[in-house]
Amino acid sequence: MRRREFLGLIAPSVLVMGGLLVLPLYRTVEWSLQRVNYGEAGTFVGLDNYSAALSDPRLGRAVLFTVGLTAVVVATLIVGGYLLAVMVNGLGRSKPFVLGFLLISYVVPNIVGATMFSWLFDANFGGVVNHLVSTLTGHEVLWFIDPWPNRLVIALDTIWFMLPFSMLVIIAGLQGVPAEVIEASRIDGASTFRTHWSVIIPSIRGVLGFVAIISIMDVLRTFDQLVPLSPQATQIGNESIMLYIYNVAFQDGGQQLGLGSAINVLLILLIVILLYPFIRGIAKEARQA
Amino acid sequence: MPQPRTTVVRALATTISAALLLTACGAGSRTSSSTAAQVDCDFPAPSKATSVNVLAYNSSAIDPFTNTMVKSCSKNQVTVKHEPIDFAGQVQKTTATLAGDTGTYDVVETYGFIIPKYAGEQKLRPLDEYVAEFDQEYGLSDINKAMRQAMSYDGKLYGLPMQAQMYVMAYRKDVFESLGLKPPTTFAELRDVAGKIQQAGQIKYPVALPLLASSDIATAYDSALGSLGVDYVDATTMTPNFDKPEAAKAFDELRSLAPFMDPQVTTFDQPRVQQQMYNGSAAVAIMFSGRMNDLTQASNSKFSQQFGFAPPPSVAGGDVLYNTLSVDGWSIPTNAAADPKMLFEMIASSVSADASKASVPAAYPARDGIVTPGSSPYAEAAQVSIGKAPPAEPHPWTSRISNDTRTVVADVVLGNTPVAEGTAQMQQIAAKILAEYKK
Amino acid sequence: MTTLQEHGSALEPSRSDGEPPSAKRRPRKSAHTYLVGGVLVLVCWAMVSPVLWTAMAVTKPTDVAFLNPPVFTYEPTMTAFVDLWQTTLFADYLVNTLVVAVLSTIAALVIGLPAAYALSRFPSWVSAVLLVLALVFRALPRFAVVLPMYDLSRALGVYDTTFAVAAALVAINQPFSIWLLRNFFAEIPKELDEAAMLDGCSRLATLRRVMIPLMGPGILTAGIFVFLFAFQEYLTANILTDVSARTVPVFIATQLGQTLPMLQQAGAAAMLLTLPVVAFAFIAQRYLVAGLNSGSVKG
Repeated sequence: MRRREFLGLIAPSVLVMGGLLVLPLYRTVEWSLQRVNYGEAGTFVGLDNYSAALSDPRLGRAVLFTVGLTAVVVATLIVGGYLLAVMVNGLGRSKPFVLGFLLISYVVPNIVGATMFSWLFDANFGGVVNHLVSTLTGHEVLWFIDPWPNRLVIALDTIWFMLPFSMLVIIAGLQGVPAEVIEASRIDGASTFRTHWSVIIPSIRGVLGFVAIISIMDVLRTFDQLVPLSPQATQIGNESIMLYIYNVAFQDGGQQLGLGSAINVLLILLIVILLYPFIRGIAKEARQA
Repeated sequence: MPQPRTTVVRALATTISAALLLTACGAGSRTSSSTAAQVDCDFPAPSKATSVNVLAYNSSAIDPFTNTMVKSCSKNQVTVKHEPIDFAGQVQKTTATLAGDTGTYDVVETYGFIIPKYAGEQKLRPLDEYVAEFDQEYGLSDINKAMRQAMSYDGKLYGLPMQAQMYVMAYRKDVFESLGLKPPTTFAELRDVAGKIQQAGQIKYPVALPLLASSDIATAYDSALGSLGVDYVDATTMTPNFDKPEAAKAFDELRSLAPFMDPQVTTFDQPRVQQQMYNGSAAVAIMFSGRMNDLTQASNSKFSQQFGFAPPPSVAGGDVLYNTLSVDGWSIPTNAAADPKMLFEMIASSVSADASKASVPAAYPARDGIVTPGSSPYAEAAQVSIGKAPPAEPHPWTSRISNDTRTVVADVVLGNTPVAEGTAQMQQIAAKILAEYKK
Repeated sequence: MTTLQEHGSALEPSRSDGEPPSAKRRPRKSAHTYLVGGVLVLVCWAMVSPVLWTAMAVTKPTDVAFLNPPVFTYEPTMTAFVDLWQTTLFADYLVNTLVVAVLSTIAALVIGLPAAYALSRFPSWVSAVLLVLALVFRALPRFAVVLPMYDLSRALGVYDTTFAVAAALVAINQPFSIWLLRNFFAEIPKELDEAAMLDGCSRLATLRRVMIPLMGPGILTAGIFVFLFAFQEYLTANILTDVSARTVPVFIATQLGQTLPMLQQAGAAAMLLTLPVVAFAFIAQRYLVAGLNSGSVKG
């Protein structure tokens, strides 16, 4: 392919991303160096917003919560997604049927799904899970103000709507594993567990990496589900970084757009650092392709 | 490969979807609810088709005024549009629409608390000249003076009052009667009554207050402080009052109710408190009067006939109750696109005598003499309550202090921060804000 | 780990792709088949229960809709649905949501296909940089781009239009689209384009006449994903719209702080939004697996 052709083909996409992603990003960086309100011109304040953000203990808590949630959820998604994928993939005629059911939580908008989820736990709305748990254990669990039960609800909801994607991608990966390889391993007398561990999993490593990278990105950005699930997130340390930005820059007419932008920039740095191993792999692959 | 079972499921899903879509017959046909009045809204037709966007949260007290405006003023090439939104949504959209040179909304629902801030920033249009012009036509001089005062800043009117909202206490008559209790008039009595209900064993957490940590809790603290006779700020010396003993006492009193409230009460906004009452989970609730009419609706709760209403208690005895008086009204943003005179006629017609009468019993209209003790089950309680509220603090810093100290208030009420440390932090935050206004 | 061990062999029949279970599989249909079946039924039930519970809440009479402890037997009613349609502009929100989803899907594919094709065929540092950038963009916190977009759309006078929301979503979902599509293209042998070009096709004609027809399942997969993303989007739509372009997720979110009966109507709106996508999920799942399977997710 000639350079001219290449440039012509990627131009529309680059223009769209340049105009609607890079330009806004530039604006965010600019705002992060200003004291600014909506609809007003800002005044340059240098790195004040950054030092304000970094000295706010809330940011540290938000980072800790977000990264912790990411670790737990992503690990569950990969292990759970794999187990579920193996089970579903082994089904016969009922497979499309089961897949359809499992995909429901994935296609429901997060905020709507999280609201439905919160109703299961909220005594005010006759939550059935809450009712069952308190009837069975005789113990009232404070799902919305006790930090750990609330974290459990948040993690469960996040897993609930992300598991189908992970399962779907892993099923696709499993179908690409050559039958002969599995057969060979079985003839060698390997146990079922060994076949999975040393034959199938290594051969779909790329797929599992893909699930990991997409999930890490999405959980790091956790926001929508916290609105219904954690009304008191700030007080109990369950504020995600995105929710923190929202509370600072938008909620209740909070007008600290500059501070919010500075946290945005810091979050981008965090994401790039966490994704660095993947970035290197991709850069290498793209140059060779 | 055909998969018979999926086909069945698919057919089923399609059928259910179709059946639900069928409920759409006559979509949009009831845009105004039955509380909407048809009133005169006589603005001259504009030269071209115009649409007027109204920002107002939904509650049974605000809806009658909004719906009347939509119903009566959509004519002469003008479409008045109102989309349902909750209170948090209104707060956020108000900030957004008032920022910048143009805004989406032409008419905004406002309340006394935020008028000084937005008026001080010249984001709202003064209405006095229009009031003078249309006084006769819409009978504007019958609107209560004090309420007009509450919507004014620096001697000018920035919001046309539609109604007052004050705290009212709702309680379960049947529960109180069976235990021989009387509606409490102080927090000490409230604790006593709540303790007795708790002991009776039927209701575990008898008291419900809107204490949502991200919003209502600030109003609750302000009400408690006000009932103890102290303002946020001493306006003459421009010093915050959080170092006064009452500031700590207000916290102690609010916290003293904790054993009688649901442990998750700091996640309750007013609709959730209503739900507590609908469900019979609580026996006493204190919230704005505009939420009371919902309780009396049989369609919402099987206890609708059991609710009694009383003025809220005072925190430590005395004449000023645990209370907030909030006047709701209509404002016109400075950056509204439509002709302000036409917009004024619309808001004036929505608070006209006929419209105000139609809003009872759901609301407590701003016009003198419309609410009588017999207007609604809670009218008498509301009338007592309105006269015993702490004075408003009509200054631009009030809403800012309230906003910026809210997380501290929440942390103290929740017990995360000791009272003394919390009040010290609040004193500092408020002093910093006040410094901006001293110059 | 027992589940894993017990039915590892279950991998095998998948490649028979819908072929009726053969006789030799029968004898194995014993304990572990039932165990797997049982586990899957439980998982499905758990996954669907939030939706089911909401479906129950919105078909209950209003006074018992959110009663605590909950009621399980009641006379179902459709009042919440009827009220929703009749007293709100739900129909408009639904149309807005669909317009945004369809517009942004079409635009994302029209713009993304050529770019993905070029990236799969032109190994250079430019491609590498672009792909890495796409990855980083995919991971961007929404606020970092959406808040400036709010300012931008106001300045351009497109604030509160379905166009602005769709344009924003095209850009936001562009990294995912080109990433996915590039991997599909990478699966198609390069010799194919060379042959076509020898036959006198231009680059663009090769893409249109040869590549795109071959990409059927890949395009469908990418299209389904982008459509779903747009259909579900809350944050972007919330910040870029006020009244005229409000979408269903935004509408539902602004109703969560309401009381009865409007809260019940919000639940009804959630069900109305959910059911069509559930039907869609049943139809789309086959294509999704097939599409992803043809090599898109090598990582």
